[in-house]
Parts: sequence; C-alpha cells; structure tokens
Amino acid sequence: MRQGGNKNKAFSLKTRLKRLKRDSNRWSVFTLAIVLFLALPIVFIGVELFSGPGETWGHIVEYLLPDYIWNSLYLVFFCSILVLVLGVSSAWFVSRFDFLFRKQMEWLLILPLAIPSYIVGYAYAGIFDYGGSMDLIFRQLNLDFVRIDIMNRAGLAFVLSISLFPYVYVSARAFFLNQANNLLEASKMLGVGEAKTFFKLMLPLARPAIVAGLVLVLMEVLNDYGAAKYYGVNTFTTGIFRSWFSLEEPQTAVYLSALLILIIFALILFEKWQVRKVKFTSAKSNSTQIQRKEPKGAIKWGIFSVVLLPILLGFILPVAQLIYWAILTASTVFDFRFIVLSLQSFGIAITSAIITVFFALLLIYFSKWSALRFIKNVARVGVLGYAIPGAVIAIGIMIPTLALDKWLIKMLGNFGIDSGLIINGTLIALFYAYAVRFLAVAYNPIDSTALKVDNSIPDSSKVLGVGNLKTFFKIEFPLIKTGVFSAVILVFIDVMKELPLTLILKPYHVDTLAVKAFEYASDEMVMEASIPSLFIIFTAMIPVIFLNKLLIKK
Amino acid sequence: MKNLILAVAAFSILAACKNESEKKDNATAEEMAKDQVVNVYTHRHYEPDQNIFKMFEEKTGIKVKVINASADELIQKMKMEGKQSPADVLITVDAGRLSRAKDEGLLQSVESEVLENAIPSYLRDVDNQWFGLTKRARIIAYAKDRVNPEDLSTYEDLVNEKWEGKILVRSSSNIYNQSLMASIIANNGEEEAKRWAEGIVANMARSPKGSDRDQVKAVVAGEGDLAFVNSYYIGKMLNSPDAEEVKTAQQIGLFFPNQEGRGTHVNVSGAGVAKYAPNKENAIRFIEFLISEEAQQIFTDANYEYPIIESVAPVKDIKAWGAFKEDTLGLNKLGANNKKAVLIFDEAGWK
Repeated sequence: MRQGGNKNKAFSLKTRLKRLKRDSNRWSVFTLAIVLFLALPIVFIGVELFSGPGETWGHIVEYLLPDYIWNSLYLVFFCSILVLVLGVSSAWFVSRFDFLFRKQMEWLLILPLAIPSYIVGYAYAGIFDYGGSMDLIFRQLNLDFVRIDIMNRAGLAFVLSISLFPYVYVSARAFFLNQANNLLEASKMLGVGEAKTFFKLMLPLARPAIVAGLVLVLMEVLNDYGAAKYYGVNTFTTGIFRSWFSLEEPQTAVYLSALLILIIFALILFEKWQVRKVKFTSAKSNSTQIQRKEPKGAIKWGIFSVVLLPILLGFILPVAQLIYWAILTASTVFDFRFIVLSLQSFGIAITSAIITVFFALLLIYFSKWSALRFIKNVARVGVLGYAIPGAVIAIGIMIPTLALDKWLIKMLGNFGIDSGLIINGTLIALFYAYAVRFLAVAYNPIDSTALKVDNSIPDSSKVLGVGNLKTFFKIEFPLIKTGVFSAVILVFIDVMKELPLTLILKPYHVDTLAVKAFEYASDEMVMEASIPSLFIIFTAMIPVIFLNKLLIKK
Repeated sequence: MKNLILAVAAFSILAACKNESEKKDNATAEEMAKDQVVNVYTHRHYEPDQNIFKMFEEKTGIKVKVINASADELIQKMKMEGKQSPADVLITVDAGRLSRAKDEGLLQSVESEVLENAIPSYLRDVDNQWFGLTKRARIIAYAKDRVNPEDLSTYEDLVNEKWEGKILVRSSSNIYNQSLMASIIANNGEEEAKRWAEGIVANMARSPKGSDRDQVKAVVAGEGDLAFVNSYYIGKMLNSPDAEEVKTAQQIGLFFPNQEGRGTHVNVSGAGVAKYAPNKENAIRFIEFLISEEAQQIFTDANYEYPIIESVAPVKDIKAWGAFKEDTLGLNKLGANNKKAVLIFDEAGWK
C-alpha cells in the first residue's frame, strides 16, 4: 500500500517535470524575468533574513513584540470592518440608485485617498485638540466642550479607515457598474427584494473585487508610519524604524520586515483561497450598465446621508481643517513655486502610474499566456513591495542599483570617463522604486477585472489565428479598461503622496509636494504643512475627475 | 478631454525633465569649476535655512545643493553611496546622530581655527569631525496655576511621588528624549538611569503620544501639570500664526532643571564634513558661514534656537527666560549612550 503510494508519487513527479517542459513557453520566461526585475529589491531584503536578527532581537521579543503584534492585529480587525462598511455601502448606493449630487459624490468618494494618512491624523488631532477647531466652535456657542481624545489606538483605526476605504469603494464599484445589471434584472424578474438581492446575490459575487480592495487597505494599514507614530501606537512598522534607527540594527529591522511580509503573504493566500470559491465570469463586461432606481422620501435622504458620511469624515472635515490652517499660514508659506512644484509632482506621478500599470499588465497577461499554472503564483511575489515600508524598499533598491552604478563607473573608467552615479539620484531609480512599491495597487484592480473576462472570447480569437498581443489590444483591453483606469488613478494618487522612497531616492532639485508637506510636518509645523497638502489634494483631483468620467462613459 | 489630459501630462513631464536637464547643466559646470558647489544633506527642514543658504551663495558664488531627509535616512544613504557619495556636508538636529555618523566612518576631521575658536569644546566633536551650530535646551513647561516652581529642582526629582499622574512626555522614539536619557546615563550611571525611567513612567499622566507642542497643550488643557519640551518649540508657539497656540504658550511657566548642579541638558543641531566630500574646502567654508554672526542671527530670530557663538544674543522671546547653566557634558557621550538609552526605555515600559 505504502509502496504503491511512493510509486505514484515518483510517477507524478516525473510527469510533472515532463509537463513543465511541455508547458513552458516564452511567456513563462518573460514573466519570470519581469518578476525578477520587480522583486529584486524584495529578494535583497529577503536574503538578509538568513543572516538572522541582530543581538537586540531577544530584547525586542521580550519587551516590544507582543505590543506590535497586538496593535497590528487590532488595526487589521477594526480597519477591515470600518472600511468594508463604508466602502461597500457607498459603492452599492452610487451604483444602484440615483439621488442628489450622485455624480459629484461618485468621485468625491475617491478623494480621501489623496490626503496622506498622517496628514488626516494631524487634521483630526487639530479638530479635537485643546484650542482646536471643535473647542473654538463650542466656545463661540457658549457650550461646554467635552474633549474627545482621538490620539489612541481606536482613533488611529478610525483615521486610517476613513482615509483608505476608497480602495474598497473603487474596486467594488467597478464590479457593480459593469457586472451587476443582468443579475439584477434576473433577480427582479424572480421577485426578490432589494435587500435580499444585495446580501444574497451581489455581495457574494462582488467578494473577489471587495477583498482585492481590502488587501490593499490592510497592506497600507500595516505599513503606516506617520500616523501611528504621532498617535503613540506601536505597530510592526514603528518597530521596524525603532530597531533600525534607535537600536541601530538594520538586520533586526529587516527581520521584522520579513515577518511583516509573511503576514501579508498570508493575507494574499487568504484572498486567493476565497476567490477560488467564487467563479464568475462575464463576457459582456461593460455592455450594459445598471439602470439606477430613484428612491423617494425618507429612503432617498437615508441613502444620501449614508453616502455623504464617508465623504464628510474622510474629505470635507480634514480639508476644512487644512483650509483653516492654510488661511492662518498663507502669508508666510504660500509661494508661486508651489504651482511649479504641483506640475512637477503631477508629471512624476502620472509617468510612474503609467509605467507601473504597464508592468502590472505585462505580469498579468504574460503569466496568463504561459501555460504553466504555478507562474501565476510566482507573479504574485511582485506585489509584496506594497507591504514593505518605503524606507526599507529604498534600501532594497539601492543595493542593486548602486552595484550596477559602481560597475558602470568602473567600466567607463576604463575608457577614461569619470562619471558619477548614473542611476542613483536620477528619476530612473525613482520610477523603478515606485513601480516596485506600487505594483500591487495596479495589479489588484486590473487582475480582478481580468478575472471576470470569460476566457472563451480571447480563446476563440486565438483559435482563429490571431496572436496574443493583437487579441489583447483588440478584445481584452477594451473589456478591462475600467480596471486599468482605476489602477492608473490609484497609483497616481499613491505616488503623489509617497514620502520615504522619494526622500531617499529623489534627485537634487526635484521636489514633490509630499516632500514639502513633510518638511514642515516633521518639525511640528503642522499648520504650515497644510498648504502643500492642499496642493496635493487639488492636483490629485484633476485625474480623478477626468478618469472617472472616462470610467462611467459607455 | 483626453487631449487635455495628455497636454497637461506632457507639460508636467517636461517640467520634471527640465529639472533633470538643469541638473545635467550643473554637472558640466561642476566639472569646469569644481569649487562652485557644496552638496548638503540636511535634516533641518526649516524655511529660514533656505535664506541662510542663499546668503552663502551670494557671498561666495558657491551653489548650495540640498537633500532634505531625516538624519537616519541620510546616514543610511551616505553609507550605501560610499566613496561615490556626492555629500559634502551632513547636518542633523541632534548630536547623537552626528556621533553615529562619525562611528560609521562617514565624517572626517577638519582643521578650522574659525570653528575651533568660536565653538566651546563640549559642543563639538573631540576629533573635530562635527560642530554644533545651534543649541536647544530640554526644559520643563508647567501649569502656572497648579505648580509652584519652587517645588521643581532636577530631572531626577521628577520621579518623586508628588508628581504621580502629572507628567506629560512624548514617545521614547523621539531623539530629544533619547539624548536626555543618554545624558542621564552618562551623569548617573545605567542603574540610576533605569530607575529614573521607571519612576517617570509611573508618574506619567497618559501614555506617551504626540509632539512636544502637544504636551504643552495638554498641560494647559489640564491633562497633566508638567511637560518635557524643547526650548525652541516654545519660541515657535509664542510666535504661532494660530492665536490659540500663542495663548496656550503664554499660559505655561518654564523651568530649567538642575541649575544647582550640573546644569540643564542641552543638545545641538550640528554639521560635519563628509568623509568622501568632493568639495571639502567649500564644505568647511559653508560650515564656517553657518556660525557667522549673520547666519546665527537668523537661526535665533527665525527659529528660536540658542546661538552657538557668544557674540550673538538670543532672540527676545528666549532672552526673556534669562541666562541659564548648561550641562557641559561632552556631547560625544550622547551618541555613545544612545542605544543603551533606548534599551532602558523599553525595559522601563516608556513607549
């Protein structure tokens, strides 16, 4: 019996090897090459793992680690709940119903993403502070102000949720807009009620899209540094910085990052596992849009308020606080250079967004065209960069690029050319870093839309002798356009507000708005940071509004 | 509409590229006249610094190129760049980081009579690898209505149980707290330092969070009676654009601890010349300029720091607090004890 089992196993291994040889094609090779290119910095960090943690590891385990794990789990749990409630409800209501200002609210719901979370954290602290906005308003009204202490773990979960829920909103809405119509009509014909249709039908089917958004949120939650530090909550990421800079042990920091990567990997596996259970494809991707209902009376206002709430908390309130600060500091801070700076940030962000989305498309489709099934999982390694703190990635980027630079310097030196660093300190290194860092942001929305495309269409195209690339441009791209546009918007916004990578890798004289905001905020000049922050928000609004129009256009 | 997006995108990419090409122009100019640049890696994110750099450019014709990031990140960057590092000068906002840079072999000794004569020996490196530029004192802000300043004496006395539930202080991840702790280790020994940290934790009004300014606000809001704060933040609050913040700062009293003994803990913002500085001479001239009277005047007038040279008086808000006795502990010790300080913080549960 046992022997037989062994024989079978040996047989299957042989078969597997044979299959591997049979199924590998050039797309498999291309996929591996791209994964390698994008995962290189992560690999360099991973290699450090084998040298083990530094000597303070025991100290960290004893005094700090329990706190890091507990706080990180707390944030993951409560942020998941809040983000799902806010993101899914708003996505459903704007897709299913028509009401006052629906069109404006559709894009306003994306904008909380445009404010860096740590700035939202500062703004909320400013609202509830002693001598803060609420305090002043209550004093004007001659009321006693009960101070709400927001600077704690629960407050941090609130701030992060309110600034990150749009990831869930965007991916859920893309699903509802493009996939829901046929199902809704079927459900209506069968006489199923509105609530039941949503909970029994739409929600389960939208799950892959929703979870894809949620994974992005959780990666960003785990990766947050600024807000957690200010609110006095110790998480894995604050721990990474503590062991790196305060305990002066980069190895320990890398070790902690690796643990963090493991957690993220578990999250990704979880997502894969739950998507596997829901197989749903639709050929006619954006052929018909939902027919929106127009609710009446109390329901109308109810829906209106449910959608308004996240906009109010995530955008209007913090922006109002920032505008108040901006007015106070305008005379000393405002400068026309900010307009040039905005253009520069815009240019950098849009270029990196396009590059990153391009890489995501390559990965998704090359691995699809490769007949090897495991390639798809390998491709996923590329998205891990999003979970790693930017400052750590910067190191991962500098190791290989500096080695290349030094080699280039040596080679050019042979020809008597004295060159400085060629890649480091230029936009090339920065774009590369953004692609590594934000691949997940591009990959997830595209992948979840691409999953919906029934393979039979591209397959029949290929049967008719049309090549992979042509099939992609003629047939698949139009079907996944919504996912691609969402990806461009999301990466664009993320790059606009990105900080640690930019600080370390940016060239001289290239400044971004996020860097300017940080320069003020890092020295407790929170009010002064409001003007560059507002510029980030307004610059980010431009593509959000335009691309959103493209998104909902048939 | 698509065209419009494309146009804006193209335009802004051009804007970004223009900067790149400008950079290249600079690089060629650099080759022609190498002494015309000084590359500065700085943690000082202050607007007035820009004016000082501009003054230096006008005076010497040497162009100042700046990379702004936190000192930790800059040190990491210099380490990785190695011999190819373009950095000439490293500026930090504390002495601990400078001595760490020195230990990592990132700085070099320089000979400058100007610097040696102007800066007291305890405020610069023993091997002249770095020099203090401005001073900040770690002082106590107290609630005027609830605290009699005569009850205050030393940092050590703050563990007294009469202050139970009254002390406000930010996280131990902050370098100013780490430096204070390092000075206590240097002065009293590790055992004492640990007992001190435990005593402070026991007396805390709340779990550490927020910035120095937030601790001051919490005193006025009544959350606690005493707050650790860096002197220059009080200066900034007194001159804040927010009237509420000015009022807050006016409501607290300031106390300089340990006046009867070793003196109040001071730290410096300082600068050192990078080991592989491509423009060493310019770097020295640059640092010398930073301690000139005109530069020091701006540091104190606009950023409320104590000047490092005696001939410049502190700005009037600071001057009003009076002269005080400084702890003359060599600041090298802060770097040497920094890691120990962090370990003790963790053991004592100071978050």
